[in-house]
Amino acid sequence: MLKLTIDNKAVEVPPGTSVWQAAKAAGIDIPTMCYFEGSEHFTSCMVCLVKDGASGKLYASCSTPAEEGQVVVTNDQETHEARVAALELLLSEHVGDCEAPCQLVCPAHMNIPLMNRLIAAGDFAGALKVVKRDIAIPTILGQICPAPCEAGCRRKQVDEAVSICLLKRITGEEDLNCETPYWPEIAAPTGKRVAVIGSGPAGLSAAWYLQLGGHQVTIFEKDGRAGGDLLKIAGDVLSGEMMEKEIAYILSSGIEILYRKEVDETSFAKIVEEYDAVVVAVGTLKEGIPSFGLTRGAQGIVVEKQSFLTTTPKVFAIGNALRSSKLAVRSAGQGKEVAAVITDFLKTGSVKPYQERFSSKFGKLADIEFEQYLKDAEPTARQQSGREGFSREVAMVEAKRCMHCDCRNPESCLLRELSDRYQVSQRRFSSPDRKMVEKLIHREGIVYEPNKCIKCGICVRLTKQHGEEFGFTFIGRGFDVKVGVPFNETVQKGLSKTAAMVAKNCPTGALAMFREEEQM
Amino acid sequence: MRNEKVSEEIERKQIIDQIIAEKGRSAQAVIPILQAMQEKFNFLPEEGMRYVCKKTDITPEQIVGVASFYSQFRMQPVGEHIIKVCVGTACHVKGAGHVYDALRRHFNLTGAEDTDVTRKYTLEQVSCLGCCTLAPVVQIDEITYGHVTSDKIGNILTDFEHQHGNKGAAKGLFRNVDGSAIQGEIRIGLGSCCVASGSEEVKKAVEETIQDTGIQLTLKNVGCVGMCHQVPLVEIVPQKGESTLYAKVKPEEVRNIINSHFKPLNPIGRLKNSLYRFFEKVQTDEVWEGVKKYAIDAREEQVVDFLDRQLPIATQYRGTINPLDIQEYIDHEGFTAMQTCLANWSTDQIIAAITESGLRGRGGAGFPTGRKWRLVADNLSDTKYLICNGDEGDPGAFMDRMLLESYPYRVIEGMVIAAKAVGATEGYFYIRAEYPLALRRIRQALVYCREKNFLGENILGSGFSFDIKIYEGAGAFVCGEETALMASIQGERGFPKIRPPFPAVSGLWKQPTLINNTETFAQVSYIIREGAAHFASIGKGRSKGTKVFSLAGKINRGGLIEVPMGITIRQIVEEIGGGVQNGKKFKAVQVGGPSGGCIPAELYDTPIDYESLLEAGAMMGSGGLVVLDESDCMVEIARYFLSFTQNESCGKCTFCRIGTKRMLEILTRITSGKGVLKDLEELEYLAHWTKKGSLCGLGKSAPNPILSTLKYFREEYLAHIQGKCPSGKCQSMIQYHINDSCIGCTKCAQKCPTEAILFKPHEKHVVIQDLCIKCDACREVCPVDAVQIF
Repeated sequence: MLKLTIDNKAVEVPPGTSVWQAAKAAGIDIPTMCYFEGSEHFTSCMVCLVKDGASGKLYASCSTPAEEGQVVVTNDQETHEARVAALELLLSEHVGDCEAPCQLVCPAHMNIPLMNRLIAAGDFAGALKVVKRDIAIPTILGQICPAPCEAGCRRKQVDEAVSICLLKRITGEEDLNCETPYWPEIAAPTGKRVAVIGSGPAGLSAAWYLQLGGHQVTIFEKDGRAGGDLLKIAGDVLSGEMMEKEIAYILSSGIEILYRKEVDETSFAKIVEEYDAVVVAVGTLKEGIPSFGLTRGAQGIVVEKQSFLTTTPKVFAIGNALRSSKLAVRSAGQGKEVAAVITDFLKTGSVKPYQERFSSKFGKLADIEFEQYLKDAEPTARQQSGREGFSREVAMVEAKRCMHCDCRNPESCLLRELSDRYQVSQRRFSSPDRKMVEKLIHREGIVYEPNKCIKCGICVRLTKQHGEEFGFTFIGRGFDVKVGVPFNETVQKGLSKTAAMVAKNCPTGALAMFREEEQM
Repeated sequence: MRNEKVSEEIERKQIIDQIIAEKGRSAQAVIPILQAMQEKFNFLPEEGMRYVCKKTDITPEQIVGVASFYSQFRMQPVGEHIIKVCVGTACHVKGAGHVYDALRRHFNLTGAEDTDVTRKYTLEQVSCLGCCTLAPVVQIDEITYGHVTSDKIGNILTDFEHQHGNKGAAKGLFRNVDGSAIQGEIRIGLGSCCVASGSEEVKKAVEETIQDTGIQLTLKNVGCVGMCHQVPLVEIVPQKGESTLYAKVKPEEVRNIINSHFKPLNPIGRLKNSLYRFFEKVQTDEVWEGVKKYAIDAREEQVVDFLDRQLPIATQYRGTINPLDIQEYIDHEGFTAMQTCLANWSTDQIIAAITESGLRGRGGAGFPTGRKWRLVADNLSDTKYLICNGDEGDPGAFMDRMLLESYPYRVIEGMVIAAKAVGATEGYFYIRAEYPLALRRIRQALVYCREKNFLGENILGSGFSFDIKIYEGAGAFVCGEETALMASIQGERGFPKIRPPFPAVSGLWKQPTLINNTETFAQVSYIIREGAAHFASIGKGRSKGTKVFSLAGKINRGGLIEVPMGITIRQIVEEIGGGVQNGKKFKAVQVGGPSGGCIPAELYDTPIDYESLLEAGAMMGSGGLVVLDESDCMVEIARYFLSFTQNESCGKCTFCRIGTKRMLEILTRITSGKGVLKDLEELEYLAHWTKKGSLCGLGKSAPNPILSTLKYFREEYLAHIQGKCPSGKCQSMIQYHINDSCIGCTKCAQKCPTEAILFKPHEKHVVIQDLCIKCDACREVCPVDAVQIF
């Protein structure tokens, strides 16, 4: 057995073990992307760099054999920086978006492409579940949202944007109109109590997600009905019936609502004392109206960005109370976000900012690149609808127009996971001339997007190991090296036996099965 | 028509079958097979490669991976003739870029096109043809042209067509002179530089003269003398009296040279001789400019300077022995060291001598050779390999080429001694395919060695058996890295691998392998013969012995030099090289090529040894020394080297593959006047991490040219960011202007390819900026230096 020290920990491993494996055995996690158990190491991604304690040199731990007396450092400032540098370089040539532009511009950050795909497949219930991860009031928003998502939709540059807002609306309506509307799982009771002041889009959303989090929510509503500003437009652009149905559904989750409870400075202080957390969602602040001793700025209540914490401990504020706008979807999104912050706060005792996961963005599509994106979509024109919205059939046709701008492997992608973990910047080394989008789609099998490839060669090794006739190979060299099928054969011919296997083991979203959906 | 195609296909298959029969069916034969195919078809037809896969163990994955990795291989048919423009360092600093651009204009090539419409010529850039002293160099097929400028491309193409037409007639004139009545000896340098500058023609002229006059002379081919700045060299050695060395000899001068030394045997011969000569002069239109006095007496100062500072060990007996004459090598102590080692010395004794001598790897990193041999010797195995690394890819270095061409036996002798020391059973020469002469010489030398039983079974009855094969590198700089080189021999892409395991433990085919640079092997026999202590007494500190350098760039006397370690840069440049050309100011010397760095004038007295160079931010590298003067832009030099390494990166590891690309983008931004201050910070950051994080030596050393120029010439970077290139090199920051010295000769207007200068006889000419493409043609041609760059 060899004795070595990794991060001051004594480790014993049999000869032939790599430093990476030795660390793993000692419970020390070193990131890697190109390493693949069961095939010869390749040493390409360089995110597994560790430091030799004696010489200070960095080396790839995945492929360096452990040696007697070795001293290894895996987690100091320098190794951290090395990984950041490697990841930033890989991202600088990564032609792929983790999330679609529509989702990125949606104030509630809803997973629109996934919803579209489920609708396209006729799975409206599945689509609703996806919507409800981020939006508590889809039916309402489906009628009144100005749909910034559609401004971000890439299909717009081909013909017209996908009719996202109406698609969302039909998922909500279908659900509310069915016999057993969808109920997400409610977390085990935490014993914590949260007060929400106001029941507009922000308050309702916060209350719903907090209640799902296992906390007992009490809404303090000054009116005799829930809905806040929504009530002003109900019956006009907004169907009053559907609105009431959706609000009733939210409240039936066990939320306690106290109507005609105007909160003043005194009662506010009492609420703060009584509850474990307070969410102020009172809508646009009017002059002269007290704001419960919270610091006010020019636009509204001052909060910490991304955590919504006010200047008063355990009091949070969201929605139009921060800044007046006509964007209900933003209030709804903040409701979801503050619920996540508070749930974490009630668990850990500290308030941390709400964080979106890292998302790769490569920027605008060139005109000729739409061809590649259209391979994923139907060429039909945007479907029209009257006030009543889409029928199921029309919705399915419309949803098929979505070009699948999001990545196929956003959950399993190691590049995304590590970029998120190391908080890297993709823009730092971005190049003026990026590589062109290329999508090789086999609808019965595999999808290959060469410019999401990090050249780790796992697929090349696998196709070789499994005796593919053509397989994958490295073509060219240097910066322009590509992984592809020899003699320009098709991807399905190259991967006649190994398609599912290489898709599963690709560390990025370069290879994926067409029909697989990992965001469910 | 269809039948024709079918028969063509059948023929093609037959050719491939033959190639396979010759090269073998195993996967490792892939590169030799592809090389042979390209030789036959002039590119690699896909159908042919598919056919190879069908007939051999080679898979599509392997053949496509390999064919697309090495730059030698072409997937598209090329023109009838290939024009290679050398863009090595020396050529680069002397304006190869302008020549290349001019050729592109000449053939109307746009975009990615590389072949002219008539498909007669294909234009390529090559990283180094190893004729640095003739820079800029252009090679058309086998003919090499030196000192090419953008306005002379018409001339070389005309000349090529002429030569090409005469090809058949040029052969078969050689006549062996009967040795019984030798009046003297004529030695003609036949190194690549000499050949490129016309020594073959000179040789022909000598042969003709001998034939016509009946003068009894031994014509002798000698290897490179190193005085590449004076090529072609002819040395006349009379039976009695002093020998005379003639430099820059032109074919038509040969007759006079010979006649001035030797009397023709019969008077009629003499008369006939001068008559012929008269008619030839009338009939041919030879224009050889610039040779006033061509005899350099060996006592003359500059030759003494050039040679006296040097100490030939690897290049011992330079200029006196015929590269391929094995008997002559033997007569000059050749193979005695080998015989001593094989007959009397134990493995330990040999390794001890090498260790004691302090010899370190001449490939650049300077690993102690004795220790390396010990490691291989200590790894027991039935099969052990030995590789001579002759994959010299440095743009601006040609030491290995010269050693292989001129001293093949010395390298072989070193290899056999090493083989005995480490117990190697099989040897390989890994030589770039771009060095055809070296390959030819080594191939022949190996045949002669086998004949003499210096190689093969039971060498000279010692019981030790060893033989050497040749492996032709297919054009990848990274294959100079030992793990990549071995991958290449194994028929794989030249991807380096992480070390450990070191080749000494697990190398070629996972067997213990000794891999040394050509020059390292060339120094072995001297150490054995003269003693380790003697070798160790030469040099400085931990750098023992001598080092061969190729001295090129803006220098008066460039060439190949072998000097004791510890000599200073100033001594090399001023004393051996005769100082900077054209009286310009010395600015820096680039040492070690793309892995090295620039040493500025203030460090002129830096001694050349492994440690001092590292300390100065450079590196021994393979030993290229390119002298730069005040007109060279250091940012542009850094960009040049980076574009080389970026192009040669194998693409395996993240830092090198993407890091070099991003650094190049930043440098391009700076040299085109679009840089910002933040770029310097990012450049340093990327350089730091590419150096620290890359997998192999190529990536780890690629940032050196940037780091050293940033260190010593930071103000030049800053000037570029402020929109000014202080040396007037960066095209997008400069303008051409004609000043009042203009005499109105119209030469510039005639040369201007874009009509940016209007034809105005006797008037001052003007450059129309919007039309100017900054090709430099006007400045080159102006007789009164009226064209200026601002």
